[in-house]
Amino acid sequence: MATISINQLHLDDLPWIIEYDEEKCIQCGKCTAVCSFGAIKPEVEKRRKNTSCNQEPSFERVLVIKQQISFQHHCRGCGMCSRVCPNGAIKAIRNHNDRYSVRYRAAKADSLKKGGRSNLNTEGRTLDKIKIGRISQMTDPSLDAARHQFELKTPFGRVLSADKLAFRCENGKMELSKQLPPNRWIYPILMGDMSIGAISWRMWEAMAIATAYLNEVIGIPVRMCTGEGGIPVRLLKSRYVKYMILQIASGHFGWNRIIQAMPDMVEDPAGILIKIGQGAKPGDGGLLMASKVARYVQEIRGVPRADLLSPPTHQGLYSIEESVQKMFLSMNAAFNFRVPVAIKVAASVTSVSVYNNLLRDPYNIVGGFFIDGLAGGTGAAHEISLDHTGHPITSKLRDCYLAAVHQGRQGEIPLFAGGGLGQTGSFAADAFKLICLGANGVFTGRLLLEIAGCVGNDTGKCNACNTGLCPAGLATQDVCLTKRLDIDVAAQNIVNYFIATDMELKKLMGPVGNSTLPIGRSDALISVDKHIANRLDIQYVC
Amino acid sequence: MKKETVKIKTLTDNNRMSTQELLQLISSKIAEGYTDFDIEACGQHNIGGSSWALNREEKLNFKITNPGQRAGAMALSGTRITIEGSAPADVGWLNSGAKIIVNGDCGDTAAHCAAGGKIFVSGRVGTRSGALMKHDPKYNPPEFWVLKNTGSFSFEFMGGGIAVVCGYDCEGLSSVLGNRSCVGMVGGCIYVRGPIANIADCVEIKELEENDIEFLKTGLKDFLQNIDKSDLYDELTLWNEWKKIAAEASSHKTNKMSVAEFRQKNWIKDGIFSDFINDDYVVYKIPAVNEGRVHIPHWTKTDCIKCNICVKNCPQKAIEVKDNSYNSINEKCIGCGICAAVCPKKCWTMSDNRKEIL
Repeated sequence: MATISINQLHLDDLPWIIEYDEEKCIQCGKCTAVCSFGAIKPEVEKRRKNTSCNQEPSFERVLVIKQQISFQHHCRGCGMCSRVCPNGAIKAIRNHNDRYSVRYRAAKADSLKKGGRSNLNTEGRTLDKIKIGRISQMTDPSLDAARHQFELKTPFGRVLSADKLAFRCENGKMELSKQLPPNRWIYPILMGDMSIGAISWRMWEAMAIATAYLNEVIGIPVRMCTGEGGIPVRLLKSRYVKYMILQIASGHFGWNRIIQAMPDMVEDPAGILIKIGQGAKPGDGGLLMASKVARYVQEIRGVPRADLLSPPTHQGLYSIEESVQKMFLSMNAAFNFRVPVAIKVAASVTSVSVYNNLLRDPYNIVGGFFIDGLAGGTGAAHEISLDHTGHPITSKLRDCYLAAVHQGRQGEIPLFAGGGLGQTGSFAADAFKLICLGANGVFTGRLLLEIAGCVGNDTGKCNACNTGLCPAGLATQDVCLTKRLDIDVAAQNIVNYFIATDMELKKLMGPVGNSTLPIGRSDALISVDKHIANRLDIQYVC
Repeated sequence: MKKETVKIKTLTDNNRMSTQELLQLISSKIAEGYTDFDIEACGQHNIGGSSWALNREEKLNFKITNPGQRAGAMALSGTRITIEGSAPADVGWLNSGAKIIVNGDCGDTAAHCAAGGKIFVSGRVGTRSGALMKHDPKYNPPEFWVLKNTGSFSFEFMGGGIAVVCGYDCEGLSSVLGNRSCVGMVGGCIYVRGPIANIADCVEIKELEENDIEFLKTGLKDFLQNIDKSDLYDELTLWNEWKKIAAEASSHKTNKMSVAEFRQKNWIKDGIFSDFINDDYVVYKIPAVNEGRVHIPHWTKTDCIKCNICVKNCPQKAIEVKDNSYNSINEKCIGCGICAAVCPKKCWTMSDNRKEIL
């Protein structure tokens, strides 16, 4: 006789429960065929055939779809089964009584990991409580988003104040006596920052293609950051590398190949981003589960197949000053001071001190400060970090900007903000508001996955990027899953989204009356929330 | 009917008649039956506009010098306005049928929102001229004739009517329509003689056709006569110097290369990962067969009783029996696992289709 035990995993412990309608099911097998988690399987159930107790019991065997109950094969709620079902006979329903996180820790003596993003954001987003309230109405002609030519470009790289520009007069001509720090005028939205390995090769290449296409066919000078997993040599040696920002994180993955390729590069990269931390799991290093360390990932990174943990800090950097002296200097030297170098940190209570310190950089080699807020996404993280650490982006960005303003040095080290932008639907609005609050630009990664076809959401649907079993072929290295992704459609969708966002940014710039980016134009913003208005120093309205 | 011309001087002994005084004086004269006016204006607005003769059969004639803005604004058919010298902004604003002749230049937004009548300008017109012209099919389309050139942003949001820019006396100009003209233009057409630069991309620039030339031949004769420049007719009728601008039919919108094309033609050959992965970029259907399957069935002979339950239950009819052995056809099997579920002897097992990338 089959029995159960109290401490084994049960169906009602799981976060998602499969609702299966036997009447509608035609047993086509599509649902079980597509489930990458192995969370459902066809099984034969033994059932009593006759209902009368006067008869000898007789039984029949019935084929049904059964949910699997295991830590490895539990349902993540991705919904692929209901997508393929011709009759709507199956779907995953959220279990509000689940005990999965308790059970997992109790059974495995291991911290719980997941991908995606924090799902504890219950307070609502600050950016949604801000509106653009300063509209040109008879005061000054508002711009026409279609007619006017807008300049949506922002500097990436150190900007010197006028008194530091070393001009001299030579034969009646003004000349620079010293090389200026490298600076590139780029689109105010940077994409990517997701490593080879964390996302599939098709998704990574789709982003790279979208970037090149946006630059060369559409004329939107967007830049893509490689993430910390290196960059394919074929891209490195192509002219398209000029659109790529190379990332170096604490794991320093992929830099061997970059250095080896340097003599053969035909273009400089767009920039270098030193990643100190990321907003979704601040203080924790990168985490690439072994299931995603495919052979090519092993090669580019120079490591075997294993869980790859980047250290939480850059070894050898012990202070802000040392970071500037060592890391910024080395990365500037890498391309002979021709390529701007920026740094990315997780938003933190300490961000302003860091920014103030960077502003004092005596070598003019700090080319940008990226702050990543807690609502960002990640390919894999410990849930404890994802859900309970971090700092919202909005006030932190504002604090940094105002810190620079108080010294009269705003804009000298461009500020970039990111972390969960576009979460509630409008990426352009989020970007615009952050720019008005002082950002030179914004960056996004997770949103690109959503654009390309991610089936998850912000409330715990799927969020299984860490498993390497991404049903959409985005966060996996599995051949059969990755090839579900149409690289052209994914790239085209990213391109389309940028074109739409570009129009929408102009639709916001027009009413405010700016034809260039309204960086720091906080007078354009209002809030119906008094605390937010006070904290951000914008107008409170009601 | 009183036929003599009403002469109005609006500046006497340093006293200037206000716009209201002038317009009310004109309307009181019209109410008395006067139809002809000779006005020495002093910047008063709206002269000649929204008026009609007491006897609707008759026409109103205005001769104006030194008008203010919006000369001929909201003017009706039956009104003829001749401005000696230049006029400031908004000449013929909302013109609904008047003939307005300007023997000089016009300021900005000439013919703005004009929906009828004819406006003849012997000089240049300012920015945003011809903006929002439209054509109500119940009436004749508005015509807007300019001998020289227009300022920037001209003809924006134009919805109908005909404009003619003759490009006379424009040597050295890079564009006789200024910069960024025709933005948001959805209807009507503009005939242009001379260079055009940086025009909005919602329009197309075409060569003249027979009927265009016919229209211009007749129209130019009338226009040049009205501005007293008939001697220019031969110079302006070299048709290869002319172009026609019309709103682009949406089906004609220039098709940019798609991203897929870009990948195949411009992008790094075989893709950036091709030194690791031989990716053909084929997209697997969901669910997929062959290599695209997430799970793959395997059959072992050991306990098989040849009950054929697997064959009967396979939804893809993917199991074939050959020489007492069961085989799943890769081209049909989607890897659903039903064979493994129904086999009473567990001869079928499923394995994950995980592959190291080569």
